[in-house]
Amino acid sequence: MVQPIIQVQGANKEFGKGKNTVAALKDVNLEINAGEFVAIVGPSGCGKSTLLHVMAGLEQPTAGRILLDGVDVTLISERDLPKVRMQKVGFVFQSFLLIEDLTAFENVQSVLWPSVDHTKEKQEMKALEVLREVDMLERRDHFPRQMSGGEQQRIAIARALVNDPPILFCDEPTGNLDTKTGENIMKIIAELNREKKMTVVLVTHNEDLVKFAKRTLRMKDGVIR
Amino acid sequence: MNFRVFFKSIKFAFRAKKRVIPFMMVYAILIIVVSDGYLSANWAWYLLMALIVSSFYAILISQFRRRDMSVFKCIGWSNNDVMLLVIGEVILVTVASFLIMLQISFEIVGIVTYFSVNMAPGSLLAMVHDFIVIDAVPLFSTFFIVLGMQIPGLFIAQRRAMSVPPMKALREE
Repeated sequence: MVQPIIQVQGANKEFGKGKNTVAALKDVNLEINAGEFVAIVGPSGCGKSTLLHVMAGLEQPTAGRILLDGVDVTLISERDLPKVRMQKVGFVFQSFLLIEDLTAFENVQSVLWPSVDHTKEKQEMKALEVLREVDMLERRDHFPRQMSGGEQQRIAIARALVNDPPILFCDEPTGNLDTKTGENIMKIIAELNREKKMTVVLVTHNEDLVKFAKRTLRMKDGVIR
Repeated sequence: MNFRVFFKSIKFAFRAKKRVIPFMMVYAILIIVVSDGYLSANWAWYLLMALIVSSFYAILISQFRRRDMSVFKCIGWSNNDVMLLVIGEVILVTVASFLIMLQISFEIVGIVTYFSVNMAPGSLLAMVHDFIVIDAVPLFSTFFIVLGMQIPGLFIAQRRAMSVPPMKALREE
């Protein structure tokens, strides 16, 4: 039997206090198996991005448990959470979130800078390897402002892959791209799932991207339907 | 301390020239003022001035680097690694401004000696010379004073950087 790599058990997430409390997640239960490609689809404000952040340990749920590869991230201190993120997850965001003052190569390599397990040479080799995978090797010395949106997103994908995480979280990865570029980005992500058996969780409001996923979950008002 | 992150943070700080260069100038002036005044009767005011400027800069960096810090936290950097970004820039600016003042003092003393400039006591030239040229002992001790005065600012910056969850900070951008 395949062990779920992500388990969400009774997750609730509330923002604000008192009268202004908004429930972004309402008793969400979910299991995702290793190697799956799951799309979470829903309109803006339905809580899908919040669910992704909670699953990835970027935000703590107000109640409930989140298990990432067997590790309960809700029990881990804020101090130790980055280590879990470093080992288990890669992120691709809608707005790329690259560091403007670092080159493409440095942006990718920066994930490994704090790692004591990688020597400088190993880090460089790994960064070059993933840049080659996303076909951005020749743009390695360019800064984000010198690249198109599609190129920046490729760099963001390379950054998400450099630490060999078993899980890739994608938050509207094509949201800031034109249709053709978005399609190419999705092909890269689908290929990672197919060839590297990477678990991919995609959050989107774009129904056209559902075709890349093996399973689709629909969300509305903080609930998976 | 992760030295690799520390040295990368210094390289990273060099790229923020628009912020770093003006503050190198501010720190150079701070070093002149503090080294001229910290042995006087009003030494407490000079230390307070160093404390305020240094703390302001550390807080300013943590504000400017808020997005970068959040991104680094998202990709798995620990809070200590993230703080090295601020520490690297603070140390770069302090060391660079110290070296600027050391070099300026060397140059002025060299020019005065080389051309045998006669500086009459009370003349404008003598006043400028006395104000800018800092003797070795006050210069070096001021360097350590300014460096030490960064610590409270760094603590504030650290609290600011760590108190906000990364996604919350990114949402506020």
